[in-house]
Amino acid sequence: MTLLQLEKVSRRYPIGNPVFGLRSFLTAVDQVSLEVRKGETTGVVGESGCGKSTTGRLALGLEQADSGHVLFEDKQLAAADTREWRAKRQRMQLVYQDTLAALDRRMTIGDLIAEPLVIHDIGDRASRQQRVLDLLYAVGLSEHHRALYPHQLSGGQRQRVVLARALAPSPSLLVCDEPVSALDVSVQAQIVNLLVDLQQELGLGILFISHDLRVVRHVSDRIVVMYLGQVVEHGRADTVIDQPMHPYTQALVSAMPKLPGGFDHYLPLPGEPPSPTERPSGCPFHPRCHLAKDICRQTQPELLPLGPERRVSCHLVSNP
Amino acid sequence: MNPMLNAFQTNSANAALFTSHDVAAPRKRPILTVNDLTVSFSGVPVLHGVDLTVDKGEAIGIVGESGCGKSVTWRAVLGLLPKSAEVKGEARLDGFNLAGASQSKLEQVRGGRIAMIFQDPASALNPVHRIGAQITEALRLHRGLTSASARAEARRLLDQVGIPDATSRLNAYPHELSGGQNQRVMIAIALAGEPELLVADEPTTALDATVQAQILLLLKTIQRDTGMGLVMISHDLAAVAAICDRVCVMYAGRIVEAAPTHTLLNAPQHPYTRDLIGAIPPSDGPRVRLTAIPGAPPHGGLPPGCAYAPRCQSADAACAMTGPDMRTISARHVVRCLRVADGTRQ
Ligand SMILES: Nc1ncnc2c1ncn2[C@@H]1O[C@H](COP(=O)(O)OP(=O)(O)OP(=O)(O)O)[C@@H](O)[C@H]1O
Ligand SMILES: Nc1ncnc2c1ncn2[C@@H]1O[C@H](COP(=O)(O)OP(=O)(O)O)[C@@H](O)[C@H]1O
Ligand code: SF4
Ligand code: SF4
Ligand SMILES: [Mg+2]
Ligand SMILES: [Mg+2]
Repeated sequence: MTLLQLEKVSRRYPIGNPVFGLRSFLTAVDQVSLEVRKGETTGVVGESGCGKSTTGRLALGLEQADSGHVLFEDKQLAAADTREWRAKRQRMQLVYQDTLAALDRRMTIGDLIAEPLVIHDIGDRASRQQRVLDLLYAVGLSEHHRALYPHQLSGGQRQRVVLARALAPSPSLLVCDEPVSALDVSVQAQIVNLLVDLQQELGLGILFISHDLRVVRHVSDRIVVMYLGQVVEHGRADTVIDQPMHPYTQALVSAMPKLPGGFDHYLPLPGEPPSPTERPSGCPFHPRCHLAKDICRQTQPELLPLGPERRVSCHLVSNP
Repeated sequence: MNPMLNAFQTNSANAALFTSHDVAAPRKRPILTVNDLTVSFSGVPVLHGVDLTVDKGEAIGIVGESGCGKSVTWRAVLGLLPKSAEVKGEARLDGFNLAGASQSKLEQVRGGRIAMIFQDPASALNPVHRIGAQITEALRLHRGLTSASARAEARRLLDQVGIPDATSRLNAYPHELSGGQNQRVMIAIALAGEPELLVADEPTTALDATVQAQILLLLKTIQRDTGMGLVMISHDLAAVAAICDRVCVMYAGRIVEAAPTHTLLNAPQHPYTRDLIGAIPPSDGPRVRLTAIPGAPPHGGLPPGCAYAPRCQSADAACAMTGPDMRTISARHVVRCLRVADGTRQ
């Protein structure tokens, strides 16, 4: 069952100074389509600034799309801060990267986890207490942590608290934005395992955003690869990573050192991801693409289907 | 053709250079020997006796969870720790003990015989000076080059680190360059003194995936081409293993295992090394459940016995009582674990 569907969603931000008439726009998210199914994970990968977090905020309705549609549980998402949206928001929660700043340091862990229940007016005092306790155990903490403050926990423990808060209102969808990026690999493995277990237990749909291809491959059923605000490749996780078709995906996969094996399959990719304010003509990847032809510099390739659940946006892949 | 493209095509042509298999080369002469290095901050010990050597032209990796002492070890070697740090032990560079040497002696060594680069290149560079001036300053300081010869050498260095259009880039300010390009500039400055050893502390952690690979391979190429030693500090075992000949695994202020990369990956002996490898999601093959190491590394004081005992799946009663010594199990393979020492682990 499709839980979340983004259909050609775009988001632009104004840049420059309007007073001097220099107003222009950068397109942070450009016609992005993706879906998350119940009990499944869709991973979003790409380098810094490619629009992953903006896509996540659009999915949650925290940001309004300039064009396109966001459908949650088959209904178009209502505008933020309406009553209808708040009712839906309860069913879709954000798991963000833990930073000490993100959790109110004057609140106890127990109160932090109970807060979404209070906001959404779920249960009474006693039932909330019980729910907090259940959640603490569900994320691998214990009653002992209830009275502590965020700074008294380790980074991994705080990430568990962030997860418990997101799970409190019994969501059907989690949007996880770099949930393990700040953690040591040992602790990262704890949280990734926990997320996988909770998903199985609760049938959650997850939109998993990360720049770390290894982690995304590990948790995802399908993967969306973004470059400069656009989806350049989409498909089942195994096929996208094991047989990438878009030249950018191929480069991204080859830049991930194998263990063992290192860079023995490295495909050289020059340059760095450009800023969306300097979007190249035609295919946005053409200045870095070793296969680029004239058509790539002039015409933007379309994201075309290539087999079941596979879509690739590249002239040479669709017209070899 | 774009010169940078060129540089990287050269890399791919040399792809065989970058496999992680060990070459059975004879050992070279050690350039740096660290003996029983300990560091405490205001009486709290954080390094509990580190021993290691770096051979001439060798690339070694230092891995471990955050806080295990990777950076402190090398900052102690280079005399870069604050005054509150109490450093004991030896770090010999050709017989000269760096640990405890005077700042003026150290200043001659730093940037000259040993150079260091850090995670955040933007903050290590001076924002108000053009990068050309920053490179020529290093050339003046460490090689006595001035004016035209310094500028020519600065251009060559920028070329070497893969910055296209070196002549015009010399006039750029750090904020005009990307994160990856600033890291290339830092590497150029580090190379200015023709160091025998380059210590890179998380040099790619702040960079994007494709840029991270570029910089790692650049460091490897330079290390091979110049024959300098390379110490690559990182929490990312896969990145370290990809470019280093040998890897040292640190835990709680000690090295717990060190071996040639191929051996460490294929026959790790210390439970911590095995757990670290098991925690990393594989890049291909079937998806297996990750090894989640319970708990966290100790803070401040160590538990009695083996420091890893509270988290170790192989621990038995003895582990909580006796701290294991370092044991050599083959030519360049050392392990600090009781179960390995008594032969229960293979
Ligand atoms: N509120 C905003 N106003 C203006 N520009 C924005 C805003 N939010 C995001 N952007 C721009 O949109 C682009 C996409 O940003 P986004 O945060 O989605 O990237 P990301 O893929 O999550 O990157 P990272 O990996 O660094 O988190 C970037 O160029 C960013 O600077
Ligand atoms: N200037 C300092 N003052 C006090 N403690 C420090 C200082 N620098 C590092 N430490 C402590 O030393 C230990 C090792 O730190 P470090 O070497 O930076 O770890 P890492 O392995 O992540 O590089 C940590 O417990 C850290 O908190
Ligand atoms: S469309 Fe052209 S430039 Fe873009 S990825 Fe495909 S081959 Fe490369
Ligand atoms: S000595 Fe014991 S506790 Fe320490 S690593 Fe070996 S088996 Fe584990
Ligand atoms: Mg982001
Ligand atoms: Mg460090």
